[in-house]
Amino acid sequence: MFSWLETTAIANWVALSLWAYPALLSLHIVGLAVVVGIFVMRDLRLAGVVRRINPRIFLDLAPLAWFGFTLNLVSGFLLFTSQATIFASNLPFLIKISFVIVGMVLAVMIHSRLRRQSVSASFYLSVLNEESTLRPLALLSLAVWVTVISAGRLIAYF
Amino acid sequence: MIRSFASNIADSSLNQLISEIYWLWPVLEIFHFLGLSILLGALVTIDARLLGLVRNCDALDVKRFVPLAWVGFCINLVTGTLFFIGDPMRYAINIGFQLKMLLILITGLNVVAYQLQVRPLMAGWSAGAATTPAAKLIAITSLLTWTGVLLLGRLIPYVGAG
Repeated sequence: MFSWLETTAIANWVALSLWAYPALLSLHIVGLAVVVGIFVMRDLRLAGVVRRINPRIFLDLAPLAWFGFTLNLVSGFLLFTSQATIFASNLPFLIKISFVIVGMVLAVMIHSRLRRQSVSASFYLSVLNEESTLRPLALLSLAVWVTVISAGRLIAYF
Repeated sequence: MIRSFASNIADSSLNQLISEIYWLWPVLEIFHFLGLSILLGALVTIDARLLGLVRNCDALDVKRFVPLAWVGFCINLVTGTLFFIGDPMRYAINIGFQLKMLLILITGLNVVAYQLQVRPLMAGWSAGAATTPAAKLIAITSLLTWTGVLLLGRLIPYVGAG
């Protein structure tokens, strides 16, 4: 399947066009900064590194984070097609993709729990104070995104 | 002048060290990417409040993310300087690198504008309150220039001498 993907017109365009690959890499780093940047700020707030700000502002920022994620899903898929068989057997790449999935599942869990606090004043206050029940999830999410970035950087070296 | 400066660095012992430790370059790259995520994440959060995309908090609250922006910036200043020392001849003459440094200077001017036009007014912008047009312009300038910095940085390996 991956070798078929490499023969498609779109894979050829990414691989052979002079500017397609660098242009897609450029989009990929903007998307990374948006989605990982917003999630890391949210996690630092929920972990108590940043204090006293209402964590629900990150629900307002969630659509922007999802936009960054979509940008990277599309640009990442196009980058993948150009050398699908190589990426599919690259260990850092496989680690990265697995951890992206974990990070997005955690994001959905964290956001739904943040949304629920609007109907529960006590939970809301507990998040505003540092004894956040979301703290373990936030710390896990931080570790996941650090792994995603580290593994992503190492793809080129393996 | 840039060339002689760069070739002096190329002869330095730190340059030798960076090129001899084979795992150092990828580790520096990882930290440079983590640093940019922290810097851009903090700026997006602050700028979103100034632009009104986020309204449901006091403007002074998002100011709590300013120290994180500096943490990200410092990580990237250190790692970026080490990249330059490790391969000065490549970066000094690269048009992508030169324009990236120019844009970072512009972001510095924008920080001065923030200190003058935004910071003194922030205490008055409680939850739900709109900011000033100047604050919005400064926020947009911040987002656009840093996006430009990301794009130019990523293109350094693909563009030639300036």
